[in-house]
Amino acid sequence: MPAASAINALIVDDQLTMRALIRSTLQQMGVTNMRDAGDGEEALARLAERPANLIISDYNMPNMDGLGLLRAVRANPDTRKAAFIMLTGRADKELVQRAAQFGANNYLVKPFTLMSLKEKVEQVFGALT
Amino acid sequence: MSLAERQPATRRIHVGQGENHVTSDPDVMLSTILGSCVAACLRDERAGVGGMNHFLLPDSVGNSNDPAAAARYGAYAMELLINSILRAGGRRETMTAKIFGGARMFDDLQNIGGNNAIFAERFLRDEGIPIIASSLGGRSARRIHYWPATGKALVRAVEDADAVKASERKRVREATPVVDGAVELF
Repeated sequence: MPAASAINALIVDDQLTMRALIRSTLQQMGVTNMRDAGDGEEALARLAERPANLIISDYNMPNMDGLGLLRAVRANPDTRKAAFIMLTGRADKELVQRAAQFGANNYLVKPFTLMSLKEKVEQVFGALT
Repeated sequence: MSLAERQPATRRIHVGQGENHVTSDPDVMLSTILGSCVAACLRDERAGVGGMNHFLLPDSVGNSNDPAAAARYGAYAMELLINSILRAGGRRETMTAKIFGGARMFDDLQNIGGNNAIFAERFLRDEGIPIIASSLGGRSARRIHYWPATGKALVRAVEDADAVKASERKRVREATPVVDGAVELF
């Protein structure tokens, strides 16, 4: 059973409010090692500074969207093993299919619950302690 | 030229709870009726595009395990409107906001309207979107007319608020918007 302290998360969303909400939700799960970025390009810069083993990214962002980020993450040997959870809108069924094709580990539909985020993270990492 | 030809026909689009509408059409007027709900009217003047949403935050007080549920729902409602404006050519950096609603409609429930108004103000402040006009709080329902292309907004008190109250009371009871979709791929 992995420890929540082993998670090194990068939260990517162009809304500061949503980043703060995801951060507080992860904190409630015991995750303490977190950084955030406002779009895909900024996320790649953060990953170049220091890798992450969990990326939670919105799809709809300026400059580089979530799919662009996912493709870049999977194409880079330094980042390709990071777990990637894509945040989507309710109507984005096609996007979820594309995210799966590009190597997303899971997806989460906004507006999500604390339990649903916990479930998605645990589906990727196993139950957290 | 007849009067009808000189005056462009205003097309009125009603924005119901949980909906949003974005347009750059100068002939479109968005309308809604608000009690406890809040409507955010966002607009990028340079792009000449704007829109309105209409949301009622779910009551998360009863869910002590997830106190941020209401904020996540509200943030999502705002995100839908902002993304629609961005897709229509607007820019976040030059957006301004007018916000309305958030009245205290019920004595027997927590101040849902107040919480909605506080959320909207905080969200816009945190996201750096200036609020250039607002009419929030009080005890009266409001009727809003908003022209996204020009940014003009009209607010009128609704004298007979019983229908608004009845409708909102039902929606507050039924509000369970934080649900997951299901796409079985993973």
